[in-house]
Amino acid sequence: MTKKFIGKRIKRNEDPRLLTGQALFVDDVEIPGMLHAAFVRSDYAHARILSIDVSDARQRPGVIAVYTAEDMGDEWELGPPLVSPPPTLEDVIFHSRRQAPLAKGKIHHAGEAIVVVIAENRYIAEDAVEDIWVEYEPLPVVGDIEKGIQPDSPLVHDDLDSNLAAHIHQRKGDYEAAKAKADLVLKRRFFIERGAAVAMENRGIVANWDCRSQQMTIWDTTQAPIPIRNGTAARLGLSENQVRVIAPFLGGGFGPKMMMFYPEEMLIPWLSMKLCRPIKWIEDRRENFYATTQERGQIHDVELALSSDGQILGLKDDFLHDTGAYDPYGLTIPLNTQSHVMGPYTTENFSSEIKVVFTNKTITTPVRGAGRPQGVYVIERMLDLAAKELGIDLIEIRKRNFIPPEAFPYDHKIIDQAFVPLVLDSGNYKPVIDKAAEMIGYEDFVKNEQPRLRAQGKHVGIGILPFIETTGVGPYEGARVQIETNGKVNLATGIGTQGQGHFTSFAQVVAEQLGVKVSDVRIVTGDTSEFHWGTGTFASRGAVVAGNAIHAASKRVRQKVLKLASKVLETPEDELELEDGMVRVADIPQQSISLGELAALANPLRGAVEPGTEPGLEATDYFGPKYGATAFGVHAMILEVDPETMMIEIKRYITVEDCGTVLNPLILEGQIHGGVSMGIGNSYYEQLHFDESGQLLNASLADYLIVTAHEMPSRIEIGHMETRSPFNELGTKGVGEAGAIPVPACFAQALENALQDYDLEILETPLSPNRLYELLYKKE
Amino acid sequence: MKLEGEYVFSGARDTVWEVVRDPEVLSTALPGTEKFVLVGENEYEGKMNVRIGPVSGTFGGKLTVTTAVPPESYTLIVEGTGKVGFLKGTGDVVLVDQGDDTTLMKYSGEVQIGGRVASVGQRLFDTVSKSMIKQGLDQLNTVVQARTKSD
Repeated sequence: MTKKFIGKRIKRNEDPRLLTGQALFVDDVEIPGMLHAAFVRSDYAHARILSIDVSDARQRPGVIAVYTAEDMGDEWELGPPLVSPPPTLEDVIFHSRRQAPLAKGKIHHAGEAIVVVIAENRYIAEDAVEDIWVEYEPLPVVGDIEKGIQPDSPLVHDDLDSNLAAHIHQRKGDYEAAKAKADLVLKRRFFIERGAAVAMENRGIVANWDCRSQQMTIWDTTQAPIPIRNGTAARLGLSENQVRVIAPFLGGGFGPKMMMFYPEEMLIPWLSMKLCRPIKWIEDRRENFYATTQERGQIHDVELALSSDGQILGLKDDFLHDTGAYDPYGLTIPLNTQSHVMGPYTTENFSSEIKVVFTNKTITTPVRGAGRPQGVYVIERMLDLAAKELGIDLIEIRKRNFIPPEAFPYDHKIIDQAFVPLVLDSGNYKPVIDKAAEMIGYEDFVKNEQPRLRAQGKHVGIGILPFIETTGVGPYEGARVQIETNGKVNLATGIGTQGQGHFTSFAQVVAEQLGVKVSDVRIVTGDTSEFHWGTGTFASRGAVVAGNAIHAASKRVRQKVLKLASKVLETPEDELELEDGMVRVADIPQQSISLGELAALANPLRGAVEPGTEPGLEATDYFGPKYGATAFGVHAMILEVDPETMMIEIKRYITVEDCGTVLNPLILEGQIHGGVSMGIGNSYYEQLHFDESGQLLNASLADYLIVTAHEMPSRIEIGHMETRSPFNELGTKGVGEAGAIPVPACFAQALENALQDYDLEILETPLSPNRLYELLYKKE
Repeated sequence: MKLEGEYVFSGARDTVWEVVRDPEVLSTALPGTEKFVLVGENEYEGKMNVRIGPVSGTFGGKLTVTTAVPPESYTLIVEGTGKVGFLKGTGDVVLVDQGDDTTLMKYSGEVQIGGRVASVGQRLFDTVSKSMIKQGLDQLNTVVQARTKSD
């Protein structure tokens, strides 16, 4: 069936509101009598708190309340674990250590909240923060994961024997036997450093406990409003129905806004209840660098065993993962890394041991890519080295190892981050890499263009490589679709929105079933009073999980429409069609009824509703996939580097995406553009620099370099291929993180290729102009 | 962070030694100093206003002189805290008599900073601290020259 709405380049429904400043963000919420919060945060990464003197702050006019951990009394409790360790594997070690609303006794990372001040306005609150004096006893700092895992390291958590937060070993086949048979065994060590998500909007929360109605309303920059509602109700001893959480428009999420619960999310609602006043807290940029979670931070020891024709015989990847001071997010990131290190390649023999290490740094939780870029980096770098060693073309060595299309669904035989078998649902990889090679003109570049430019003294290089992205994981999402008497459709779903274009792509899914205009679908996302079942927007799952729930609910409404219309129009259901907001008899278009009229008939004011039927044209449905949907793609780039200034220009950038059914190519391309820019940042600009005492040295946008238009290629050329997911009806796969995932690997490949005279081997990311200079000229 | 440098005083080593150990002189010489007093043998307490790029604030702290070998060398231990962060450092100072009534001061040290000074100010810390040291030493040198003349 040809699609009328799905797959069309439809302009975004939400943009007029966003562009004219009429969209609600958390900081737009103003309530009469609202108070404001500010925090005293630790200057030290690791220290004992000796004393806290808040007496001056309490005296300051306009200060309403000052709380330390002690002042919270019995109501001080740790945040909940967000993700538990996998129950399905043997010998798993997992020490759960969680963040506190306010630090008590000991500081575990710089920027940890110690005191909260509530005042009439933010100015007074900030001044009162300056009045507070905290006396510390500095302790030795665990900054480096390699040193942190040594037996003589200082301890982040005094009650543990070591800084090992978790240990897990997954294997299949027999790596050692494969290695013994191999013609080539490559061994390398990779360093992957930390970066920040840097959403344009920092975090924020407004909580309003209305004593008279006994209702709590929370506006929160969260990617997971429903779990925040449920957790808040549990913490505060309220019914879930007394708590309404609204995640309005967000200026980007990228993962860190999925952390539950941040200290501020625990404190502000609690304080609002204590004081019976609405309270607002908006994070500032410096706080964002310390108190909002970060990612990457791994060291890999990798061995790749190959036959002389480039077949992967076995892969061993033992790695350390930096979880920061606490590990509320469990093993999601390192398991995702492990899942992606085999990637699109048949790997019969595999062994991978993960050690997760506590450090005196900000917690790590997923940031766009969520462990996947590390896995992709490791395997793709290893294949580049193998190709060089064996004299095989870069594309060819990958093709020789691709999982063949007939092997899907393909079980990689380890568990993934959702603790279910890592089953890749579908894929057809060769045509995608062929298309990317063709788009970038790979052969011509290597044979003609590059030699010509090199002869002119230009250092140009090409990179091309594939990646998979596991997306669309469970447990489930839901949606409620209702046709109103004005003929417009109302859709509510529990997931929040952070700029993904949900108000358009979801409307397209509804319109496809109900034959209404996309602009006639009104959507509510992330308001628990409108829909209160679901988990959240993460792991590139919106279009897959919520999308299919919306599809299912829309189909049920369509059935109701057809049933009623069949009666009214005295025509069998299969002769009816839904178009332009009308139900029409296919052959006799003038014989029709509008959806609005039908909705009115479905909710009569007089007469009797038949037993066993429901009023209205409304349905709620859910989708919970057993396995995720695995997207695939290839990125390719041509870059030029100046080996004197280390400045880089990306001349061309190609992506070919296979994310199954595309709901809206315009939105998909926007996702890719944003992802690629983050990926370029992760490759050459964005790195959090900590000194040995755990101090972040670039906690401002003057020092932390995010990619601007200047560093971006002038154009990103995007090609599409479509291998529908067989595990969901829409056939969709996620694409939200795809743009960012393979970029550091592809960048390293292209850079190495551009600097082939320098005998350069890139085994770390992100690089920077300074670091590249060191690699080129400061060799020992 | 490492700090290292040299400075030539226009005066004899003994004079220089006196000046650099005199709290009254030091309190006027160091830029931004609000208070600088001797509180025990070889121990000083002080308060200082510091501006590093976008970060400014008062640091209160302690300066201890250890292993002083008059008039040749001494070691400094500095600890300061303020609303904008903290600072901890040690430094070695050597005075070399150059024989022509000038004295060469060589200093080297390690400074650790934390809090807002580090996260926002570190890029400028090096330049600012160097210029503050230079300003301070120039001021001390004027005192050295004055004392040399009056001798």
